[in-house]
Amino acid sequence: MAAAISIKGLYKKYGPRYVLDNLSFDVEKGSIYGFLGQNGAGKTTTIKILSGLSIPDEGQIIIDNMDLSAEADNIKNILGLVPQDSEFYDERTALSQMNYFASLKGLSKSEAQEVSNLLLERVGLQSEMTKKVGSFSHGMKKRLSIAQALLNDPKILILDEPTNGLDPVGVRQVKQIIQECNENGITILVSSHNLLEVQEICTHIGILKNGKLITEGTIEEIRRLESNGVITVGIYNISPEIVDLVENMDYVVKTKIKENNILEIYVNSEVDVKPELNKLIVENGGQVFKLIENSLSLEDAYLNATGMKE
Amino acid sequence: MNISKIRIVALDEILRGVKSKHVWFFSSALAFICILAMHYSTSLAFLFSDSGKIPFTYISFMIILIIGPFFILVTAFDSISNEVEKGTVRYIISKIDRASFMLGKFCSLFLIFAVLTFIVAIMGQVYTYSSGNAFDLERMILFWLFSSLYLGCFISIFIFVSTLSKNNKIAFTMSAILLGITIYFFMQGGNEYLRYLTPPYYAFAVSGTMKNTTGEIDYFNMIRNLVSMLLFIVATLSIDILTFKRRDL
Repeated sequence: MAAAISIKGLYKKYGPRYVLDNLSFDVEKGSIYGFLGQNGAGKTTTIKILSGLSIPDEGQIIIDNMDLSAEADNIKNILGLVPQDSEFYDERTALSQMNYFASLKGLSKSEAQEVSNLLLERVGLQSEMTKKVGSFSHGMKKRLSIAQALLNDPKILILDEPTNGLDPVGVRQVKQIIQECNENGITILVSSHNLLEVQEICTHIGILKNGKLITEGTIEEIRRLESNGVITVGIYNISPEIVDLVENMDYVVKTKIKENNILEIYVNSEVDVKPELNKLIVENGGQVFKLIENSLSLEDAYLNATGMKE
Repeated sequence: MNISKIRIVALDEILRGVKSKHVWFFSSALAFICILAMHYSTSLAFLFSDSGKIPFTYISFMIILIIGPFFILVTAFDSISNEVEKGTVRYIISKIDRASFMLGKFCSLFLIFAVLTFIVAIMGQVYTYSSGNAFDLERMILFWLFSSLYLGCFISIFIFVSTLSKNNKIAFTMSAILLGITIYFFMQGGNEYLRYLTPPYYAFAVSGTMKNTTGEIDYFNMIRNLVSMLLFIVATLSIDILTFKRRDL
């Protein structure tokens, strides 16, 4: 599938420290890409660079087939940003705020009014649209932030920690909005600390550490990659011949016989090898009663990938 | 750079912007002080070296020249830094280019002060007429042009400081220091080249024309100083934009 966002060899330095160090990744069109990493990993810096708020030292960014360094203004027309911890003008109403942002997006006064009304309704702020933003709760401001990002029907939506500091109801509402946007064809890049939330809404994830992407893929791929590829097979009539045959497979790193006819197979493969292993054992007379791939939770996989697991 | 986006930012700042009340208050205060000074001009005559009849336009021109920069300081120092500190700039810069935003900010402040100096210019003529003298349209226009551009020079300087500053406190302190340095440079001896870098040099150069209401207007001198101030604004704004474009928000 074509990439909506393609980042190649991105570098960003603050003082002597590289915040982004040769960062490269692609976000597929129509996907929800979860951007994970510890504080200071470089998530916000990447998002700021993508949305034109920060300037990279080096690297190429292609967004919807446009080069960010050459076509920044055109890219702004197809991009919606929900920044982290940004305030609005407190003394203005939600509607006036939206109208202003809509006019900056090039909408006429009547269009701005119409679209603003629609979007505020979509994020559940229809009854609050004439209230001053200063009186809004954190959750309401977040929803307003999402509404302004959706002005002018963006193709790509970038959200920096959208559920940070929200109560469970707020989190659910934001997740729902993100999923609805994705159903409407918007590609989404979302940075988050909340693994459960990422697991729930994202189709792909990338894990960032010290400005480098240490692993990426679908959630299943990440789990498999980080689970060290251990497959547990229960065979009634386990024999040295079967073990030898299994060990001779290209992707098998080692095997270990455990109690109760259990064979642990350590594999190194990004594809699912269970069917092939099952076939091999059965064809050689083995009676398989159990075949499980040890799958980690995303949290374990994340901790493994970032080297944080004790 | 997009003219329509500059217009939107400027109009929003003027009509509904976050700082509008603050800006309108200080700019009105400046206009009020000018009108007050014209009203009590006879009592203020001792301030000027040659006591006697001081033209109303000259009084308000000197007030704008001397205290105008301080009013610009308090209205313009946080024009960018406040947006950066609060984070509102991120919503805007994710939609429009930085140059349009910056010029929109400049235009809003410039227009507000241009309107107020125009009011002061008109009031000067009203006082002139009411004291039995004829209208002096030429000097009124010159007063308005020079006052607006002079204040515009300071707006662009303080926007530059605001662009560089991390927060409002730093912006205010740095702006005050820069204003002090500007005054110091201006106060230097007659041939000190640093004076040419200060807006007061160009404005004070035409103060004689405002004072001498009967003499001929030296148009060459007027145009030279007018163009110098315009160039000053263009150069400072270019630096403002370049600085803002390099800044991480």
